[in-house]
Amino acid sequence: MIETGSWMDLIFLALMTILTNYYLKKAADGTLPNLRTIPAIAAIQEGVGKSIEENKPVHYAMGASGGQLYSTLVSMTLTSFAFLKYLSSLCARLGARLIVHMPYQTESLPMIEEMVREGYRVEGKEEEFRVEDLRYYGRGALTWTQGVTASYAQEGVGLNLSIGIFYSDCPISLEMAKIMGGLNVGGTGRWIMVYAFAMMCDYVFLGEEIYAAAAIVSQNPTMLAGIWVEELGKFFSIAMSIIGVILALVGLNIAPILGI
Amino acid sequence: MSTLKKEVPKLIVMVFGILMILGSYTTIPIFDTLNAELTSWTMTISAVSVWLGAVYATYANYQLYMRNRKEGIEHLIYFVVPFLVFGLQFGAGILYGVESSQYLWYFAHIYTNIGAAVYAVMFFTLASSAYRTFIASSWDAFALLAGGLIYTLRQIPLFQAFIPGIVGAGEWIMLVPNVGGGRGAVIAAALGALALGIRTLMGKEATVTEGA
Repeated sequence: MIETGSWMDLIFLALMTILTNYYLKKAADGTLPNLRTIPAIAAIQEGVGKSIEENKPVHYAMGASGGQLYSTLVSMTLTSFAFLKYLSSLCARLGARLIVHMPYQTESLPMIEEMVREGYRVEGKEEEFRVEDLRYYGRGALTWTQGVTASYAQEGVGLNLSIGIFYSDCPISLEMAKIMGGLNVGGTGRWIMVYAFAMMCDYVFLGEEIYAAAAIVSQNPTMLAGIWVEELGKFFSIAMSIIGVILALVGLNIAPILGI
Repeated sequence: MSTLKKEVPKLIVMVFGILMILGSYTTIPIFDTLNAELTSWTMTISAVSVWLGAVYATYANYQLYMRNRKEGIEHLIYFVVPFLVFGLQFGAGILYGVESSQYLWYFAHIYTNIGAAVYAVMFFTLASSAYRTFIASSWDAFALLAGGLIYTLRQIPLFQAFIPGIVGAGEWIMLVPNVGGGRGAVIAAALGALALGIRTLMGKEATVTEGA
């Protein structure tokens, strides 16, 4: 009845679900985790200020493929939505112009528009929201890259916040923003592309930091409570790795026992 | 937000999410069938929503042109050319078929070449960012510079000949610290994604339920 080799995954999923439920209840009682400061979050506000001083727009890019709603990377899409709403709200409050470079997955466009609109609405400035600053460049990473870099060159860039699902589109867009004088802040959960962010960004969210940072910027108790679950999962993984190594050293392979 | 607008999407996400999980973890055929069916729905949704992209792109360029008619002439081009290309492609497809050289001419001679040219720019962007990254301004940056240098130089025959141990050192950097660090990062990112996924399935993910 259960797929062969998936017992361990299923048990882990069940454990994580129980823990999530427990910590959500804890968050509802007002107990929230203490979180360290992530410098890249403060840099977003600094970048918006820089954009206003230089009279240049703030750019938000979630990747050419950053609108995936039904792939295994959907969590990154949702995380980038949280940042988008935070940034639009910040731009509306401080009076900066926000240009959003939308991904080519058209099914996510209404959600993106709503996130930006909501950010302006929260600040009571919905009339300042401009639909024409939501840019769509058609299908493909290379058309997206051309559109984004052209926008940097023509309209200028004060802050470039890039968070989401990135492939080979980010080395070009990030470095172009840097060359055009923009402050680059960003990150992706795709480990294979983190190198580009580490090299090209002034402030970077390293891999999983995007999830924690999204919770921090949203200041939503349920999202903040989720960080506990992530941390416990990490400790569990570390413990499993250490136990696995020790057992392997004494000649006991537990992988078949666990159904891995 | 009204209860209907908030609760119905939450319910849809929960029901379909659980069905997808059951399809992945169980061997019950009905869930496999449902899994395949739901996956095909995503393709339909994606295809149907394509027109939205055209609306956004057209509207943005039209508005930007109308705001500044003198200097925004390129937006007029961005506004007109896609329709022109679409018309020509559509006409070629109707007249000669989608396998014809007339229909494929645009892809073969324009789209692919522009794409390759843009992709080539990546070399220059990587080179300029590597220059900034490899400035040894701290011990961390020095470690990065040393690792990068050893890994890069090991590929050059001249250095392989004069520094015999460089190949082994480069391979070690690639296979031990790089793979170890990478796996740690992947596990951490997967846990973050899993925690968010569980919150979504429980209808507690704020990005989905309240717009963050």
